[in-house]
Amino acid sequence: MKKIMFHLFLLLPLIGQAQMKADDVKTFTLTNGMKFLVVEDFSIPNANMYLFYKVGSRNEYQGITGLSHFFEHMMFNGAKKYGPKLFDRTMEFNGGANNAYTTENVTVYTNWFPASATEVIFDLEGDRISSLSIDSTMVESERGVVLSERRTGLENSPWRLLSQSVQATAFQEHPYHWPVIGYEDDMKNWTQQDLERYFKTYYAPNNCVVVVSGAIKMEKVKEFAKKYLEPIPAQIAPPQVHIVEPAQTGERRITVKKEVATPYLMIGYHTPESKSEDYYALNILSSVLSSGNSSRLYASLVDQKQLATQVFTDFGDSFDPSLFNVYAVANKDVKESDLEQAVYAELEKIKKDGISEKELQKIKNQKLMEFYDQVETINGKSNNIGTYEVFFGDYRKMFNAPANYNKITTAEVQKVANKYFTKSNRTVGILKTNVEE
Amino acid sequence: MEGIKHKIMIFSLLLITSITVSAQSFKLPDYSSFKLANGLTIYLMEQHDVPVISVSAILPAGAIYDYDRSGVASLTATALKHGTKNFTKEKIDEELDFIGANVDTYASKEFSGLSSKFAAKDRDKVLVIIKELLLNPAFDAAEFEKEKSRLLVQLEQQKESPRSVIGPYFDTLLYGNHAYGNVINGNKATVGKLTVNDLKDFYKTNYKPNGAAITVVGDFVSSDMKVALSKLFSGWEKSVVEKENPASNSIKVPTENKVLLVNKGDAKETTFYIGSAGISRNNPDYVAIEVVNTLFGGRFTSMLNDELRVNSGLTYGANSRFNALKNGGSFVISTFTAVKTTEAAIDKALEVLNKLHSNGLDEKSLSSAKNYVKGQFPPRYETTGQLSSLLSQMFWYNFDKSFIDNFEKNVDGLDLAKANQIIAKYFPKDKLQFVLVGKSEDIKKIAEKYGKVSEVQIDDDIKKRN
Repeated sequence: MKKIMFHLFLLLPLIGQAQMKADDVKTFTLTNGMKFLVVEDFSIPNANMYLFYKVGSRNEYQGITGLSHFFEHMMFNGAKKYGPKLFDRTMEFNGGANNAYTTENVTVYTNWFPASATEVIFDLEGDRISSLSIDSTMVESERGVVLSERRTGLENSPWRLLSQSVQATAFQEHPYHWPVIGYEDDMKNWTQQDLERYFKTYYAPNNCVVVVSGAIKMEKVKEFAKKYLEPIPAQIAPPQVHIVEPAQTGERRITVKKEVATPYLMIGYHTPESKSEDYYALNILSSVLSSGNSSRLYASLVDQKQLATQVFTDFGDSFDPSLFNVYAVANKDVKESDLEQAVYAELEKIKKDGISEKELQKIKNQKLMEFYDQVETINGKSNNIGTYEVFFGDYRKMFNAPANYNKITTAEVQKVANKYFTKSNRTVGILKTNVEE
Repeated sequence: MEGIKHKIMIFSLLLITSITVSAQSFKLPDYSSFKLANGLTIYLMEQHDVPVISVSAILPAGAIYDYDRSGVASLTATALKHGTKNFTKEKIDEELDFIGANVDTYASKEFSGLSSKFAAKDRDKVLVIIKELLLNPAFDAAEFEKEKSRLLVQLEQQKESPRSVIGPYFDTLLYGNHAYGNVINGNKATVGKLTVNDLKDFYKTNYKPNGAAITVVGDFVSSDMKVALSKLFSGWEKSVVEKENPASNSIKVPTENKVLLVNKGDAKETTFYIGSAGISRNNPDYVAIEVVNTLFGGRFTSMLNDELRVNSGLTYGANSRFNALKNGGSFVISTFTAVKTTEAAIDKALEVLNKLHSNGLDEKSLSSAKNYVKGQFPPRYETTGQLSSLLSQMFWYNFDKSFIDNFEKNVDGLDLAKANQIIAKYFPKDKLQFVLVGKSEDIKKIAEKYGKVSEVQIDDDIKKRN
C-alpha cells in the first residue's frame, strides 16, 4: 500500500562490481540547492523520480512524535494548482503511480510513470513542494488513516511492538527512542501550526536529493527541473540534531506481553552510523550470521539445535549511531533463555575464533548478486544511487563499495564483533504471552 | 513549451478520450520453446543486460492434489531441498549460498514450482542442483521430522496475523468442498499425521515432466542452453497414467449471503474480505476486467480506497482483486478497520459496490484507468525473474505472447458500453461471502446483519467446509 512506513531502518542494498559505472550517473544542482542525479536507461519506455528529503523521526521531539510520517501523508493532500485528491488523480490519469516511505532518517517520495509523462510529474512535484496547502478537513481524515496504519502494524506483527520497545530502551536520550509512526496520543494532537512549521523547515529544495532513472534524456530532465523546481526558494538549513546517545554502561532488558504461540526475542547492540569506518565489516558480519541456510545463526539455531523457527539480523543505514539487531522466534517448548544463550554462543565463537576465509568470500559473492538485483530495474538504480548519496554523502561510494568490501579481512570482522557484541552494550527484548512467570 | 501543463488540464476536462498514454508498443522479447521426448516443455529467452540467469519450473503438483492429506503438496515442495541422491542438504545449502544463488521450491493452490536466480558464470553448478532437486530428491526422514515440527509451530504462529490467514478462510467459505478450497499449508491435524512416505508417494505421482515446464531467462546463448538442458532433463521419466484433475469439478455458486466470523479475542481491529466467485485465467474479458477493477479497487484513487481511506479515514487501505485460477477464481474486497468502526466500514464497502452497479463508469475515469494499466505494464516484465515467471504462467494458463504484445490494443479497445457490461457480468451484487477476523464479542451482532453467521475460533485448524 501507498505511503508505507518502514518500521526500522532502510535496508541498504549491497554492492559488488558491475558493468554500470559512476560515469553513467549524471548530476547537476539547481541554484536553490536541489541536487539531481540522472541515469538514462531506455530498456523499458518508463521512468521514475525518487525524492529523498533529509527529515525523519530523528528530527522530532516529544509532543510531535510521528509528525514526519504524518507529513509524508499530507504531501498527497493538495497544493495550490492541484487541490485535494488531484495529485494522485492527475498522476494516475497520466499512467503514473506513486508511493512514499518514512524512516528515522529520511522521507522518500517515489513516482513511477511512462517516460512520456515526465513533465506532468515535475509539475506535480513542483506544485506540492512550492505551495502545499494544509487543509484542516484533510488533516482530520488523514489522522484516521495513520492511526489505522499504526493499529494494523501492531495487529499483524509481534515484531512491531517488540522492536519499538527495544529501541525505546536502547535509546534513552536520542530521538531514535520513539517509533517512526509516533505515540498514539501525539498522533491525535498534532496541530496545523506544527505541520506548517515542518513544511517550511524541512521541505526545502536544498534539503532534497532527486534521482531520475529511465527512458529520458538528461537535457530534458534539466529543462523540466529548471522550469518547475528551480523557482522554489531555498530555506535556511534545518537545525542539526545535536543529541548524542550516551554510551550504554550495562545490559538492559525489557519484557512485553502479547498473545503469541511462542516467545519472540530481539537483541540490539549499539553500533555506529553509516559513515563510520566499521560499516563494511559490520555489514559482512550481519550476512555471516543470517544470510542463507548455511549462515551461522540459521544453521545452528533453526536447523541443528531446533531452538528457533526463524532467525534474522539487520544492520541498516542511519545518520546517527543505531543498532545491530538479532531477531529470533522460539520453537515449541523452548525456553527463551535457552534461545538467547544459544545466540550468544554463536556470537562468542566469532569473537574468539573469527570467521573463515571461505565465509568471507561467500559474503562477497552474495553482495555481487544483490548488486545485480538492484541494477536490473530502473527503480533499483534510483533507490540505490539516492541511498548512497544521502547516507554516505556521495553516490560514487556505491561504485567504490566493491573495493571497500574487498578490503575487509577476516580479522576486521572479528575485531568489530569483539568491539560491539558486549554484554553492557546490548538491550534484550522478550515478547510472550505469559509475562508473570 | 510554455502552457503545456494547462493544455493537459484542459484535455482532461474536455477531450479526455483523446489522451492515451503510450507505452511505445511494449513487446515481449523474443524467446524459443521446445519439448523433450518425455514431454517436458522448455522456454528460453536471452537477456544480456545483467550477467544473471533466472529459472522457473512449474508442475501440476499443487494443493489441489492434496485430497485428505492437507499440506502434503507444500511440504513435498519444501522437502525437495532436503538432500538428493548425489547431494546432502548441507552441501546444497553451502554450494548455493557460497555463490549467492537462490533456489526456492514451493506449492501454490494449483501448481508447484521452483524459482532460481544465479550469476551467469555459475550456470553449470546451479543447473545440476536444480536437476537433482526435481529428479532425485531423497526425502531424508530426519530432515522431514525437523521440517514438520517447525511447520506445526508455524501453523500456530501464522494465527498471530489476521492478514496472513484470512485468504485461506475465505477460500474455504467460497469453494466449500471443491479442491480450490484446499488450504495450501494444511492444518495441525492433517500435517501432524503426515509421514515421509506420504511425501514420497506424492512426489512419485505428481513430479513428472509431461505437463511441466522449465523456463530460463538471462545471459546465455540459447543453442548452448538447449544442449545443456536436454542433457540434464531427458532422463526424467514421464508418467504413464493420465492423472485426474481434482479441480475440474464445477464450483458451486453461492446461493445466499454467508458470514464466517473468526474470533480473535485480543483483536483491536477487524480484518475483512467481502467477495464471491470470480473468473478463470482464460476468460476472454481478462484484460477488460483488470481495467474495470483498477477503477473499483485496484489503485490508490480507486472507488474503494477513495471512500474508505481518503474520504472517511476508516482504514489505511482498501482494495479489490480477482484471483484467477485455471477452472475458476474468486473476487474479493479486502480491508481492515478499528473494532468500533467495523459496521461503518462494511456498510461503506457495500455502498461502494452498489454504486459501481447503479452509477457505472464515465468516460473520464475509464480513460484514466486505461492510461494507468498501460503505463504500469512494462515494469512488470523488466527483470529476468519476472520474465521467466511470465513464461511459466503462459505455459500453465495456456496464453501466448499476444497477451503482452496486444495488451495495449486490448486495453484501448475497451469502450464505456463494454466496461459497464463487465460490471454487470463479473462484479457480484448479492449472495456475498464475508470473512471477518476480529473480536466476536464486539462484532457478532454486526456480522448477523449481513448474512447467516458461522463462528470459528482463530486457534482452531482451518478446515475445508462442506
